[in-house]
Amino acid sequence: MIAVTRRVFSVASLAGVAAVAFPAVLRGQAKPRLVVIGGGPAGATVAKYVAKDSNGAIDVTLVEPLAKFVTCFHSNLYLGDFRSWDSIAHDYKLDAYGVKHVRQAASAIDRDKKQVRLADGSTLDYDRLVVAPGIDLAFDSVPGWSEEAAEVMPHAWKPGPQTQLLKTRLDALQDGATIVMVAPPNPYRCPPGPYERVSCMAAVLKKKGHSKSRIVVVDPKDRFSKMALFQEGWQAHYPGMVEWMDPKMHGGLKSVDPKTGTVVTDLETIKADLVNVIPKQMAGKIARDAGLANGTGYCPIDPATMKSAQDPNIFVLGDAAIAGAMPKSAFSANSQAKVVALAVRGELTGSRVFPARYANTCWSVIAADDTVKIGGRYEPKDGAIAEVEGFVSKTGEDKDVRRQTSEENMGWYKGIVADIFA
Amino acid sequence: MTRLAVSARVVTAPVAAASGPVVLAAVTAVAVIAAAASPVAVVAADRAAGAVKGDRELGQYLSSECVTCHQISGRYDGIPPIVGWPEESFVEILSEYRDKKRENQVMRSIAVKFSDEEIAALAAYFGSLKPRTD
Repeated sequence: MIAVTRRVFSVASLAGVAAVAFPAVLRGQAKPRLVVIGGGPAGATVAKYVAKDSNGAIDVTLVEPLAKFVTCFHSNLYLGDFRSWDSIAHDYKLDAYGVKHVRQAASAIDRDKKQVRLADGSTLDYDRLVVAPGIDLAFDSVPGWSEEAAEVMPHAWKPGPQTQLLKTRLDALQDGATIVMVAPPNPYRCPPGPYERVSCMAAVLKKKGHSKSRIVVVDPKDRFSKMALFQEGWQAHYPGMVEWMDPKMHGGLKSVDPKTGTVVTDLETIKADLVNVIPKQMAGKIARDAGLANGTGYCPIDPATMKSAQDPNIFVLGDAAIAGAMPKSAFSANSQAKVVALAVRGELTGSRVFPARYANTCWSVIAADDTVKIGGRYEPKDGAIAEVEGFVSKTGEDKDVRRQTSEENMGWYKGIVADIFA
Repeated sequence: MTRLAVSARVVTAPVAAASGPVVLAAVTAVAVIAAAASPVAVVAADRAAGAVKGDRELGQYLSSECVTCHQISGRYDGIPPIVGWPEESFVEILSEYRDKKRENQVMRSIAVKFSDEEIAALAAYFGSLKPRTD
């Protein structure tokens, strides 16, 4: 009796060990299937790296409706005339690695059946699923504003027509104009982004010779990323043009009115020629609908792998995930993608897995040849992703340093888009 | 022998290369090293090269972090190429970033947690690649 039990146990153990090492191969299945929802810096990078490094051993499908992806990163540079629209739009060239690109939106995830439902009603089966939908905007978070109102008061926080709308409106302003930016509450995509945008809009006004125009920032936060650097830069390049208000100064945002172009705070009503509303944000709907998010609106993950805390067959990364100390940035998403790709390959083909390493750098343009950066290195620690080393540009830096940082920023862009899309 | 050749060229690299932008279009990989390395790399010449035997598979994983900025093709667009370097030069330079002897904040932050084994692995991986010429 005991002997039999032991023998059975031994056989089971061996099978278990082998299954861990060569799961799909051992069980004689067809190719394991990875489905990736979202073709941004997070999802496209995972799809590419899994396909490339598994040498065809994993069937990789990328679900992304767009044929051409416009990057949110560097879209402020487009606003500021520092680069063209075409230069931030990228074709997917991932078929070279064997990635199948399904040009549809994913409409639902059936976690029990391990299926993704597409917009046309068809389904994709998966062994592992990567969910990288980015953010959704909380259109109801600013009283008076809505998805329709965004046609008048653009957010431009998702790249595409909104970005071009904001650019058109910005370029049409006459001297003496008032721009109001409603800044978002934490956590949101690209922490220094609103303030880089202020800088880029100011650069356009300055170039056009505006001396009376102003940019007012109504911020729900009392401090922001690279604050001292931006404030120093605004003073140096655009003296008197930028007025940043924290809650103590405006008393709280009450509402906006797209019909009259006004922004009402507790202390004043500002009549604006252009209002840029960057609202509260949350994980993309498909992730929330699938129960992958928690009360914060974002998705909890295992910091060692970016695996969903809610489902062992799903990974969530990029802006939709709760990545601890890592900011929501393209660099972070791309970094997380490498960890996910390794974990997915390890689980599906038994390939070697190494400890997770994460990194981020965010460059921000203040003016031509004046770029600053912030960044760090991160590791899993005590159930979250923690910073182990960080840095930020210093105020009062030499012009040569800032020029070099500008070149680095442009070089990084070329590097990361090659890494994601080509 | 490659190491000596590289070191000799590094000695003659312009000092300005350390602080100024690395400008190159059709220069050789050796020149890239010289420019990115600065005369500090002269120290490398005096060190025993030893046998740098990196774990290439580990290096390939770690390299995925590098290629966010440094293009795998070896192309230069504002960030120095790092493919095709002699391994000992690669080890020397990355170690100097880790030890905060070199200035770039991004590179210091990237290198801070690297073990010698990981640096050797990266050197082996990137050293095995050739810049694309297309």
